[in-house]
Amino acid sequence: MNDFRDPSGGGASPIARLVDAFHRLPGIGPKIAQRLAYHVLRAPEEEARDLAEALMEVKRSVVLCARCQNVTAENPCRICSDKGRERTIICVVEEPLDVVAIERTGGFHGLYHVLHGVISPADGVGPEDLKIAELLARIRDVDRDVTEVIVATNPNLEGEATSMYLGRLLRPLGIRVTRLARGLPAGADLEYADDVTLGRALEFRQEV
Amino acid sequence: MSGRAPRVTKTEAIVIRQRRLGDADRIVTLLTPLRGKVDVVAKGVLRSKSRLAGHLEPLTHVEIVLAHGRSLDVVTQAQAVESFPALRGDLDRLSAALYLAELADRFTVEHADATGLFALLHAALVRLDRGDGQQVVTRMYELALLEATGFRPEWTRCLGCGVEVPADEARWSPLEGGVIGVECGARYPGALPIDATALRVLRAYQSLPYEEAGRVRLTDDLAARLEQIMHSLMRAVAERELKSAAFVSAARHARVAEETATAGLDEIRDDECAEAED
Ligand SMILES: [Zn+2]
Ligand SMILES: [Zn+2]
Repeated sequence: MNDFRDPSGGGASPIARLVDAFHRLPGIGPKIAQRLAYHVLRAPEEEARDLAEALMEVKRSVVLCARCQNVTAENPCRICSDKGRERTIICVVEEPLDVVAIERTGGFHGLYHVLHGVISPADGVGPEDLKIAELLARIRDVDRDVTEVIVATNPNLEGEATSMYLGRLLRPLGIRVTRLARGLPAGADLEYADDVTLGRALEFRQEV
Repeated sequence: MSGRAPRVTKTEAIVIRQRRLGDADRIVTLLTPLRGKVDVVAKGVLRSKSRLAGHLEPLTHVEIVLAHGRSLDVVTQAQAVESFPALRGDLDRLSAALYLAELADRFTVEHADATGLFALLHAALVRLDRGDGQQVVTRMYELALLEATGFRPEWTRCLGCGVEVPADEARWSPLEGGVIGVECGARYPGALPIDATALRVLRAYQSLPYEEAGRVRLTDDLAARLEQIMHSLMRAVAERELKSAAFVSAARHARVAEETATAGLDEIRDDECAEAED
């Protein structure tokens, strides 16, 4: 991004700052970041303001659901307050996008719990950095009818470690703990699985 | 635009860790015998159709082909040689292996010979996978790693005066890496008490080959004390928190809690049976 250094030498220019900000977004390489920044530069002021306000609005109004920890504008979220959902089963996922992927299969009608990550000591993430305490408290105090927890973490080393650890914590509470069936390729990511494969993995889940 | 083929390297390696790079790519940290620790890029790994993914999971022993890239080398082929499935299926052994890998990560440098450290990590993973005691594998690995990197702890002679310290009079300093006798105590105000039995075991571990060290009997309680001593030593040498060390302990606590809860249920059932017989 040297092309955008302020020629006067006084640090990063506003456009270099914007390019950097776009570049930090997932899936945006340096070329696309430059194109987006120039698009904003040329666009009418309203369009830029809309974008800025949408960004701030999402940070202001979106909170974590007090029960399932999913991102939501209402608290509790729509799924948690939906009377039609089964209240005896919770599907535990790593990220909010995994809820979207599982909802798309149409094969699950229970509740969710979002951990916001996965146990990965090499990256500095331990159990205490995830929403695990919230899951235990919720099962003990609020969702007392829960009898089964499906751990739908990704089928990789960190996902397996997380599911085994949750198994040890949940079984003493009398909860049946299951894991998505094999069929999702090892090392893959739920977010990229097709609906059919994910649906089957849910249906043929196994005891942890 | 030269006509030369892109330069490639083939090497064996143990995958230490992975982190996401953009949407579907990953940066994989490898421990190699000849080039030490190396970061490489694996493209498209997170997509469900990627054939590389399963071979590049952490704690896999791989044969790998790397193409020289501009900043980082790029993985073009990877074939798992050993994936240690038994170790992966057991939380205690898996957490221990993650700890060994984090230590390898902290104690090796990039692009320098690491033949010895590679052999140490490989042997420890093989031993955990075949079911050797998690405690002795971990402790012997820690001690060998410290020895190989110039941080050999002094368990026998006083750091202050060099005189042999009786185990039940010793204090120790994780920062200084050794024991301190009564005489020199005043010069090491930060020194901590150390369990005499644990110290005797550490002395034995340091002088015995692996096979014989495995015959030292450990109670659960003694194993926990050894773990606590060695974790503080490794933290002091690495000069940082080791998240994987905390996870080893968390996994064990969770297992003990589950066993206690299950035993409690069994007792209740036994009582019910006893009443039924009356
Ligand atoms: Zn909710
Ligand atoms: Zn002394």
